[in-house]
Amino acid sequence: MPSMGASSTIGLSGSRLKALDKYFSIFKIQLINAFAYPADLFSRVFSMLIFMWVFLQLWTVTYAAMGQTQIDGLTLRDTLWYLMIAEMVLLSKPRLARTIAENVKDGTVAYLLNRPYHFLLYQLSVGLGDSLLRMVVNAAAGGALIWLMLGPPPNWLGVPLVVIALLFAWCIDFCLNAMIGLLAFLTEDVSAFEWIYSKLVLILGGVLIPLDFFPDWLRDFALSLPFAYTTYAPARIFIDPAWSDFSGLLLRQVAWLVALSILLGLFFQLGVRRLNVNGG
Amino acid sequence: MKMFRELRFLTALWKANLLSAMEYRIPFLTQVLGMMLNNAVYFVFWVIFFDRFDNVGGWGLRDMFILFGIVATSFGLGIFLFGNATSLADHIATGRLDYYLSLPRPVLLHQLASRSVTSGLGDFFYGLVSFAFAGQYGPQSIARFLLGAIFGAMIFVSFLTLVQSLAFWIGNASMIASQATNAIITFALYPITLFDGSAKLILFTLIPAALVGSVPAEFVRAFTWTQLFQIVGAGLVICTLSIFVFYRGLRRYESGSAIQVQV
Repeated sequence: MPSMGASSTIGLSGSRLKALDKYFSIFKIQLINAFAYPADLFSRVFSMLIFMWVFLQLWTVTYAAMGQTQIDGLTLRDTLWYLMIAEMVLLSKPRLARTIAENVKDGTVAYLLNRPYHFLLYQLSVGLGDSLLRMVVNAAAGGALIWLMLGPPPNWLGVPLVVIALLFAWCIDFCLNAMIGLLAFLTEDVSAFEWIYSKLVLILGGVLIPLDFFPDWLRDFALSLPFAYTTYAPARIFIDPAWSDFSGLLLRQVAWLVALSILLGLFFQLGVRRLNVNGG
Repeated sequence: MKMFRELRFLTALWKANLLSAMEYRIPFLTQVLGMMLNNAVYFVFWVIFFDRFDNVGGWGLRDMFILFGIVATSFGLGIFLFGNATSLADHIATGRLDYYLSLPRPVLLHQLASRSVTSGLGDFFYGLVSFAFAGQYGPQSIARFLLGAIFGAMIFVSFLTLVQSLAFWIGNASMIASQATNAIITFALYPITLFDGSAKLILFTLIPAALVGSVPAEFVRAFTWTQLFQIVGAGLVICTLSIFVFYRGLRRYESGSAIQVQV
């Protein structure tokens, strides 16, 4: 019953575009809200700079020890710009799973389900509004550091392409995070699932080390999972925006997004049914 | 005599915290095992790294097992026994020290030990497993590991207390404290040989990550008087400094005048 919210509203309004208006408004409000907390932004920038500084030291020493200018086709500059994009994605994400889990645990979900919007689309709009400014600020800080130490990005064509890839990457991550959050319908606490998911993204998403440096079998395995398309795909496109790679990665991002959206819809239906059984 | 009395008090607090955490068995186990798994997945990075590269700044996979072992054990021990170290700034800013001030016990010790972070046990056990993987089973290595972990925990808790005590002067220091905590853990998990010059100086002083990571890890690998002095000396200095700064700040504390019930 609660999931009727979105579809019925869309049907009643007579225009899907008009129905999307309210989500755009939620996104806008959240984005404006993000400007109101400069201390939060500053603290994220601090984290970004710390991580990029550590990566810079680690990979500079590693490339020097190898005595090579390229490792698996990536120069030191490529690797650091890659890691900057991957880290930016990671540090700009909202704690969506925790928010949804809190909504479920404290009963806010019952209130949100009765509002004239779809619970998941509401969370998506809020999360996107939260992330956008963080992404820009983190990219500016991390990018400035890498530019200063190693030079400009390897290919400027990567800039427009990465924006498209980032949008799909963010949506895939949203689906996975939302599913973890909805697990709160079944378990008391989702923090362990959240930790493990974040570490899977760190490793199999290629945040700490590019998948290009993995052994072949592990790289193939990582590329067959969705985590790589939340961070590796946009970061790799940014440093090497060759069209064949871009279209291939984008296609896989779309495929994962469709599959995970369907799965998330099912999760939500099951969760809401369980909420009704519990009496809300 | 007084010391024994406080020790008995601490033991009673820790026992109560443990029993309280274990009251909810499933969340307790999920947190402990989840944190162990979380750390193990994170460590896969180094397994992949050293599969591709021989060493980094003279450190190999075995050294990283020791480094992760010492950092996880000391951090886990610290936040399990003195879990409120992570929320001291919030307690100061919101006037929640009133409760501790009204009781005949040392304020700082009582506040710090009044809560246990359950996931800290996961870090603690993961650290022991990581050390076991390093394969240094000699009694002297084990003794050095335990010593490093105990002083590491002391440095972690003291550092948290120091940065969280900033709340006495600047009000809401939660964000700065959280960033400082992230910074010390992040830097502690990398070999000190990656850094040089001013970065190294910072990691031995302002953010004492080297003293909870690389220095005790090297001490576990081989005994040197210099490292023993660095670990013990730094532990005692930062602990004394944190107590001094906290009580100095306490003079500026303004009561929240809120009615609170400690459960």
